[in-house]
Amino acid sequence: MSDSAVSVHNLRKAFGSRVVLEDVSFEVPRGQTFALLGRNGAGKTTMIRTLLGLLPPDAGTIRVAGCDPATESLELRRRVGYLAEDQSMYDWMTAVELCRFLEPFYPQWDARLAESYLDRFELPRHVRIERLSKGQTVKLGLAVALAHAPQVAILDDPALGLDPVSRKEFNRDLVEHLQAEGRTVIYSSHLLDEVEAVADVVAILDRGRIVRQGPTETLREEVQRMILPQEVVRRQPPPPGLLDARRHGEQFEVVVDGASRFIDELASSGHSVQATSMTLDDIFEAFVIGRPQAWSEA
Amino acid sequence: MFVHIERGSSMPISRQISEQLRSQCLSGSLKSGEKMPSVRELAQQLAVNVNTVFRIYERLAAEGLIELRHGDGTYVCPKLRQADSQLAAQRDKFGLEFDAIIQQGMMLGFSAAELRTRLTSALAAARKAQK
Repeated sequence: MSDSAVSVHNLRKAFGSRVVLEDVSFEVPRGQTFALLGRNGAGKTTMIRTLLGLLPPDAGTIRVAGCDPATESLELRRRVGYLAEDQSMYDWMTAVELCRFLEPFYPQWDARLAESYLDRFELPRHVRIERLSKGQTVKLGLAVALAHAPQVAILDDPALGLDPVSRKEFNRDLVEHLQAEGRTVIYSSHLLDEVEAVADVVAILDRGRIVRQGPTETLREEVQRMILPQEVVRRQPPPPGLLDARRHGEQFEVVVDGASRFIDELASSGHSVQATSMTLDDIFEAFVIGRPQAWSEA
Repeated sequence: MFVHIERGSSMPISRQISEQLRSQCLSGSLKSGEKMPSVRELAQQLAVNVNTVFRIYERLAAEGLIELRHGDGTYVCPKLRQADSQLAAQRDKFGLEFDAIIQQGMMLGFSAAELRTRLTSALAAARKAQK
């Protein structure tokens, strides 16, 4: 898979008896933006820390920018930029001091590039990090993550704690300075509506497993909501891809992954059904907390 | 060129953008021969994935609405013969969607006065955003 910047196969990670990641596989083609979605505790940060070689996997294979994180972590760090979820360290330093401090760790550190990111992100150079706004701190984190011109950028929930205006600004920076320059980006988030605009592919992580991945557009075409009369639900077995079923009196509101196939099937048995599109938030919810059981109880 | 994106809408962002651009080409508010922003520029302006914008441009080019001139830029094409009927079809579709929204509003218990107030403020917001 030479055109994949990141590939993960059958990854498993447990802390003691607690399994945090189970059978996780995905590929990110070079130049694409991949969003890892999940609620708190779904395993996003563990996934990212494993990609970076900060945690050893229990099973499975990982390649990031051509490196195996477990054995080539030094080379990996040269090719990857990382924005951690919690960036409160070194908050007594100024932006300029932080850059000087980090420079010796990275052979490819480009001081001019670092300077230009400080300019582009309009960051004050001589203000202590602790006095920067949350939005500025994230931008500074991004600036230092990119200053060695990495092939792959890995961002752990960068939008966490940002207000809507800063989030949009951050998305714009992501598009302008990462996508437009052809870098591969992996980032985690729990804000789906933000992710849709910038991700090529999203993966929904739930309790350590990827329950669905695909381009956002495909997801929205395939996962739809429909209203079915009770007699239809009683007569049919639950369709494959049923994510949620709720009873409202004599009718059922159901969410199905693979909606068009199911609608065709219903049509061939004489039921015409209208499906409606859902927001990405609703789709996420259906995968993570949907309860298909009500179908069988009809 | 004006494009407005509603985040968190049930209509995918790519469709919101392509429908707005298509409407503007068909209605003539984007004029024939006018230069469009580059894929990168529009992606940055809207804070939307570069590949998404590229796919939208390709689709509109395949429909004959815009032309991607290699190394030069993207231009609005002269109106096609079928543009008027396409515009009429888009307007019909809009009419149906508008009716459906009003019906849904009534089912949710909005009064006629409340719906009118909403329409007025939505119009004002849209005009303000377009400036």
